[in-house]
Amino acid sequence: MKKILYPMLIIFILIPLGLISENPAWAEWDNEYYQEALGFIPKGIENALHVKALAPDYTIEGMNDIVAYYLSGMLGVALIFGIFYLLGKKLAR
Amino acid sequence: MHIPDGYLSPITCIATYAAALPLWVIAFKKLKQDLNETTLPLIASLSALSFIIMMFNIPIPGGTSGHAVGASLIAILFGPWIASVCVSLVLFIQALVFGDGGVTTFGANALLMAFASSFSSYYIFQILKTKSFAPYVSGWVSVVCSSLVLTLFLGIQPLIATLDGQPLYFPFGFDVTFPAVVGSHILFFGVVEGIFTGIAYRYIVKNRIYKGVNA
Repeated sequence: MKKILYPMLIIFILIPLGLISENPAWAEWDNEYYQEALGFIPKGIENALHVKALAPDYTIEGMNDIVAYYLSGMLGVALIFGIFYLLGKKLAR
Repeated sequence: MHIPDGYLSPITCIATYAAALPLWVIAFKKLKQDLNETTLPLIASLSALSFIIMMFNIPIPGGTSGHAVGASLIAILFGPWIASVCVSLVLFIQALVFGDGGVTTFGANALLMAFASSFSSYYIFQILKTKSFAPYVSGWVSVVCSSLVLTLFLGIQPLIATLDGQPLYFPFGFDVTFPAVVGSHILFFGVVEGIFTGIAYRYIVKNRIYKGVNA
């Protein structure tokens, strides 16, 4: 397991590189983009369901972006391992 | 590549959930069968790696960005069903905790990033298995297939949902969506996924971390 966890740790340390890009993903624009490009905001996008995320877009309010990105990464990884851990325990019974 | 809420018409959301649901059931059953003391830590680690890999947003010319998925690596090691359920779990956490990808569009996102990528790369790998470049090609194909499904979901929106000539949801048709989405995945994100899959697969096989269902 060490052989897989060490390289993962190195990749994890590098994740702030993911913040270099200021560009949004194609089609993940703000509503202002539609206003400018089309002259209107499609109704469905304007009135979209808005789920309040714990850390929207991997940011945490009032926190440095890089620190928040690391914390988000840790939280996501912890959740994934936690779910698999519980699944393993449940299956072992 | 994560479709946000409000981009797909309600009918598309329902249809994609309906299509994904039986696939999740099958995939989860397969996962339960395959999980044991050897596979569980590795499957969990590769799922976590998929989550991490999606955090690397890569800027490309044209003012946009994107990312690899990591589905292909799991698919060629553990099969497409396992990969699909792992990446679905990652997408679920991204949607609920990080607002990355919508909740109403989770079914669609799972179909394109989990199922389309896992199955396409798995079968390509089966065909090319004996060649050393197989995992590289599989990774590339997986992301390109994802982008094709993404184009389909987005591109039909202005055709099926308009009011007084104005699109209600995603406003651009295939003429705009296809070159932007599929083109960028052929040229950039597919290449990144291919390199990632190839290097990681070689590393895992060389260090005998996992022999794989295919090895």
